[in-house]
Amino acid sequence: MIDFSLNEDLELIVDTIRSFSNERILPKIRVFESERRVDDDVCKEFAMASFDRLELPESLGGSGLGMLARVLVNEEMGAVDPGAALALDRLGPAFYVLDAFGGLKALSQFARPILETEGKRAVLVLESDSTFDVEHGRVSGAVPWIPSSRADLVVILSDTGARVVEHGSSLQPLRGSGLRAAGASSLRLEHAPVIAQWQDARKAAQALAKARLYAASLLLGVLRHSSEFSRNYAMNREAFGRPIAHHQGLAFLIVDMYTAVESVRLLVHDAALKIDRGEDGTQESAAAFVEAVEASRFIGPNGVQILGGHGFMQDYPVEKAMRESRALGLWMGGIDRARDDASKFLE
Amino acid sequence: MDFEISKELRKEIDETREWGERQVRPAGLEADRNGAPLPVDHLYFRRYLEHGGGRTRWHGAGGKSSSGSSDGVVKSVILGEETSYWDRGMTIANPGVGLPEGIVLASSTEEQKQRFLGPFLEPDRPRWASFALTEPSGGSDTANFKTRARRDGKHWVLSGAKCFIGNASRADWILVQANADPDKGRAGQRAFFVEQGTPGLGGFKIEKKMGLKAYESTSFTLEECRIPENNLLGEGDRASEKPEQSDKNVKGYKSTMGTLNASRPGVAASAIGIARAALDESISFARANDLMKQIRVRDRLELFQRKLRAAWLMVLKSAWLADEGKPNIVEASMGKVYAAEIAQDIATLAMELLGVVGARGDHLIEKLYRDVKALNIVEGTGQIQRVIMGRQLVGLPR
Repeated sequence: MIDFSLNEDLELIVDTIRSFSNERILPKIRVFESERRVDDDVCKEFAMASFDRLELPESLGGSGLGMLARVLVNEEMGAVDPGAALALDRLGPAFYVLDAFGGLKALSQFARPILETEGKRAVLVLESDSTFDVEHGRVSGAVPWIPSSRADLVVILSDTGARVVEHGSSLQPLRGSGLRAAGASSLRLEHAPVIAQWQDARKAAQALAKARLYAASLLLGVLRHSSEFSRNYAMNREAFGRPIAHHQGLAFLIVDMYTAVESVRLLVHDAALKIDRGEDGTQESAAAFVEAVEASRFIGPNGVQILGGHGFMQDYPVEKAMRESRALGLWMGGIDRARDDASKFLE
Repeated sequence: MDFEISKELRKEIDETREWGERQVRPAGLEADRNGAPLPVDHLYFRRYLEHGGGRTRWHGAGGKSSSGSSDGVVKSVILGEETSYWDRGMTIANPGVGLPEGIVLASSTEEQKQRFLGPFLEPDRPRWASFALTEPSGGSDTANFKTRARRDGKHWVLSGAKCFIGNASRADWILVQANADPDKGRAGQRAFFVEQGTPGLGGFKIEKKMGLKAYESTSFTLEECRIPENNLLGEGDRASEKPEQSDKNVKGYKSTMGTLNASRPGVAASAIGIARAALDESISFARANDLMKQIRVRDRLELFQRKLRAAWLMVLKSAWLADEGKPNIVEASMGKVYAAEIAQDIATLAMELLGVVGARGDHLIEKLYRDVKALNIVEGTGQIQRVIMGRQLVGLPR
């Protein structure tokens, strides 16, 4: 039955996270970005509201919500600061790998200790983004960039399985192109002992599908913000005697940006609903990610363009959106791998 | 939130598919090959009637009257997409009241329903009606139409010219948009039933189109065309009143425009139907010619599938909003422009996939490439849709 409305529970979640993001994150986005971290009191408040355990099963003290709730929350947080969103959600997409392969046992063993200790973070890295070698149950190699300043648990996802590493990692801080509030580091593993590993290509694909949707929904928020901020600016900034938005060249651009955001949103929701129905959403999630990344190439630079010289300056948030949307598009395997999975329907 | 189609509706889609494959596609291809609309006495139209088509949604005098499809916009959009998959031109060529039905149901008097919709209750033969809005001087700027209606005693006298009008020469009657008070601009617009054979109605010319050849697109003229006063849509009972004295006058125009707003999801859905056909044909061609391993081919097909899904959800959302009675101006225009442009892109790239085979002019994709262009023009071009969205989103001045 076709229905585009949200139920009351989801509406309440969206309202709550929107208020939290606007009141607690928005005023300090440039501070968090320059400090490469989010204030401790904001982290505590986020955890108090159980937003750091949104999808964790209720039996483990989580909220037990599904993918639709996740993408709705991520859109709202991404619209304010996707870097802060990553810093606050300390399990991040690593949750999906632990859940897919190890279920309650793995979540209890690996995820809960992260949540129970202040500041700890789990990171998910894809084998395709790294140079890892495994020998005698130990991993060595590097990942050029992770959007984190800590890696208390490293979950490595390949096409066919996953490994978990707790010790033996070192981080080298980076400036980072975007998502700086999450921190930015290169990750090195030196004979890091593997404490859990699984083999199952289907589960690997399912975990990656959710991780991509996680990234796509943050990206959706960034794109929405860039599109809406530049739209409002264009309605107030005047040139040649009228708001610049009333020059048809810009009006049409703004309309097309609005449409591009909606196309991403619909595909993200489509994939989330499919996953929540228990169906295989691999192709749909990959398609949503590809759509989001393609839209970011259009919206990111044009958000800056509409503001002209002001857009290029860090006094306005559109340059940040342009950088962050690019960084998010490179995450979780990037667009080319996603396109491969999005075309699986041809087989 | 739920994007799934119900089982009951799936069954109806299956039935539409079966009819489409067996009857609609062959008829559309025949018209395309002949380069002309199917003649009025074509066997297809008789079969369509026997299949249950060609009838009005009006339930007759004393029966339940509804201003829209009783099944809702979502359902009509979904079934329309399936029919357009088999041939968009045939969906317009089909007998029935067609485009003016919604306006007539919403705005006409009971006497007018009986007179003009009555013959479509159980039609003795394929019958058509027609809706004439567009003029040679333009289509979207309705306030600037040149066709005039002049009051003369108990008659209205219409003068002007219309073009690109579906099924006009074969229609029992044409609902003609004309301005009864040009000083008032759009507020002076009225709709009139002009019956076939009325003196002054003539000059019918079947236009030759690039695609969608199955339906008849017609231009015609109105030269001092005299019609009874009770042929003014919705004014039959109040014909003695002057236009400016009646509240219904403005309603008549608004109902026309409202119907166009409501029909945009349907037009967008038909673009998607054509594009889905292009996607399926592309996949078949790629498989048959061992192209599926080529990454450029796969990338194109992935793009088709993804954009098509986004467009489809956009259109469904605009239809769902209409069913919910919620404003959908932005969504209807957005779905229309996005679907039509994506559909054109898909057909264009599908031609590239065919390579020189596409240049032969005998592949279905080549037909779809010609057919689909119209969807970004009819009922408001892509540019007009952006203007409509711009008015809503940034207050773009009129």
